[in-house]
Amino acid sequence: MELNKEIKDLLSNNILINCSDEEVIDFLTWRIKKDWQEYDKERMDKAVVIKNKIDALPISFPNGTVGKEYHASFSLPDDLVEDYWLEDVEAIGLKDEVNPTDNSCNLSGVPTEAGSYTFRLCYKYKGWVRGMANLERKFTIAINPDPKTLWKNIPTPTDIEYYQPDSECGYVKVESKNGQPQKDIVVASQRGRSHAHEGNPRDDHYRVEYLEQSGWYIMAVADGAGSAKYSRKGSSLACDAAVDHCKQFFADEKKVKDFEEYITVYNAEGNDEYKKLLGDYIYQLVGNAAFKGYKAIETEAKSHENVPMKLYSTTLLLSVCKKFDFGWFVGSFWVGDGAMCIYDKERQYIKLLGTPDGGEFAGQTRFLTMPEIFTDQASFYGRLRFSIEQDFTALMLMTDGVSDPMFETDANLNKVEMWDALYENISKEVELSDDNAESQYQLLKWLDFWSQGNHDDRTIAILY
Amino acid sequence: MRRLPVYLLLDTSGSMFGEPIQAVNNGVDVLVSTLRSDPYALETAYLSIITFNSSAQQVTPLTELSAFQKPTIDASGCTAMGEALSLLAQKVDTEVTKTTAEVKGDWKPLVFIMTDGEPTDDLNRGLAEFKKRKFGMVVACAAGQGANTDTLKKITECVVQLDTADSATIKAFFKWVSASVSTGSQKVEDAGVEVTGLSELPPPPPEVNIVV
Repeated sequence: MELNKEIKDLLSNNILINCSDEEVIDFLTWRIKKDWQEYDKERMDKAVVIKNKIDALPISFPNGTVGKEYHASFSLPDDLVEDYWLEDVEAIGLKDEVNPTDNSCNLSGVPTEAGSYTFRLCYKYKGWVRGMANLERKFTIAINPDPKTLWKNIPTPTDIEYYQPDSECGYVKVESKNGQPQKDIVVASQRGRSHAHEGNPRDDHYRVEYLEQSGWYIMAVADGAGSAKYSRKGSSLACDAAVDHCKQFFADEKKVKDFEEYITVYNAEGNDEYKKLLGDYIYQLVGNAAFKGYKAIETEAKSHENVPMKLYSTTLLLSVCKKFDFGWFVGSFWVGDGAMCIYDKERQYIKLLGTPDGGEFAGQTRFLTMPEIFTDQASFYGRLRFSIEQDFTALMLMTDGVSDPMFETDANLNKVEMWDALYENISKEVELSDDNAESQYQLLKWLDFWSQGNHDDRTIAILY
Repeated sequence: MRRLPVYLLLDTSGSMFGEPIQAVNNGVDVLVSTLRSDPYALETAYLSIITFNSSAQQVTPLTELSAFQKPTIDASGCTAMGEALSLLAQKVDTEVTKTTAEVKGDWKPLVFIMTDGEPTDDLNRGLAEFKKRKFGMVVACAAGQGANTDTLKKITECVVQLDTADSATIKAFFKWVSASVSTGSQKVEDAGVEVTGLSELPPPPPEVNIVV
């Protein structure tokens, strides 16, 4: 090994004048090694201090969802870091952009694949020079699958007991009278995603009728309890038996004549005596209709190997109404959750036709199949309602598959703005014009709306 | 939206140090990633982790599954199980919504407790608080032979035992917890009812023994 001439000249004028080249080299090696160790230790210490500071910064990245715009931002203090960037974010479908003026960074993009991803924040700490290693901090985030893609749609096997189609819709067209358009009924029922995912049947049911001869409308919707094995039969028996009973009632001309006369007198005088008389009629009409529903289920359960009635658990919302010269007479019976309401957009008027049955924790409701519904007289009368109403925009009956996502709470059912929102939401997709039978298919399609965590069967009947 | 709260109470005392705590960390990872691919759970289940060693702490507050990020779980100290139950009761009060006229409440919480030893604090005090709250289903797991199943029976009817606290067994337990949460979320969404007993959960794997 030979010393460079310049270094040699430099040294020769100095204290190392009498040393051999080998001695000088040995000295320099010793000296440089020592200095390097000291230098290296100092810069490592500095790096560790900065690393600890960076690791302690409250930087976190939220999880993302496939197909949904992702955005996160953060900044690093510029007294610690010269330059930084993110690595391995491309694999997530994201891009990092560092803004040097304020040392901030935006991470954004649209993730394409679900999974758990780890990426690195790499940085050159203050005092870094070329050749030194970069420092890094690791982050892990999850990219969630789009929940919509996780739901399967398996048709219900047609050979199951009590099969009913996965969706159904209908329209009751009432022709104009004396040039006056008459209210029609549009109705649709759609199996919920949670049932579709498992290939389970729809448990909701409805039945709507207009009686040409007497001019009465009858509407019923029912929600079979998801937990009850044969609830789809329960809901259909409840609707059918209740509506059949009402039809029978209205077929008795003498009875209907008396009933309507009482309604007319009650409207004119509004006294308690007629109120009570009408109450008795309502009891016979919708009260007994509900009881017929109960009995029909009882009979079915008995003939079906005597299984418990609760296997047929169902709610029931039933309404009968007719237009008179002075307005509408509306009678109703309601057991369980869901919603039943008269809505008038012009007057900003709503009237709930009863109170939904709720519990302290979610998911507790009453069912038509509970004997106490009929044995507890006071509460039974509470389920019966009648009133005389001005003309209205719509009378709506729906199961909780619709009312839960639309109203969320029972208190919201009493807010007219919530009904405004619902009606507007429906009107956007469903053309609710007179005699428009096409609207049944639009309504069925509307029932497919997306609402996180709300994938129950959905049924709605609208008299408009 | 009605949430299904799920609370994991994990023993992180010193005896869990090493393989068991590593397995618990992996177990939580597996639990979360499995549930994320289940549409019922992804939309409905909310997860919280309470760990207990010399004291009890909620390391992750009740968080929706899609936003959940696993904390690092380390082991040291004793087994403050009583305090963990008190903390659980407190958190249920503040985090779980009850149904009122104004608010649609959550489903009753599911609770999974895992421990490998005897409580080192006063269990009864925590137990009293715990018993005052309403839970959907509470499963207590004795990991290995060091845990006393009789003690756990005071907390819940549903007690399971792992023969050993090795990583394969702990992993099997967490897989079963994940399947149980799936079942629970499906039941509430599908049928509107909560799971109430072990018989309604998926059958546990051979590593997880039901204590009668």
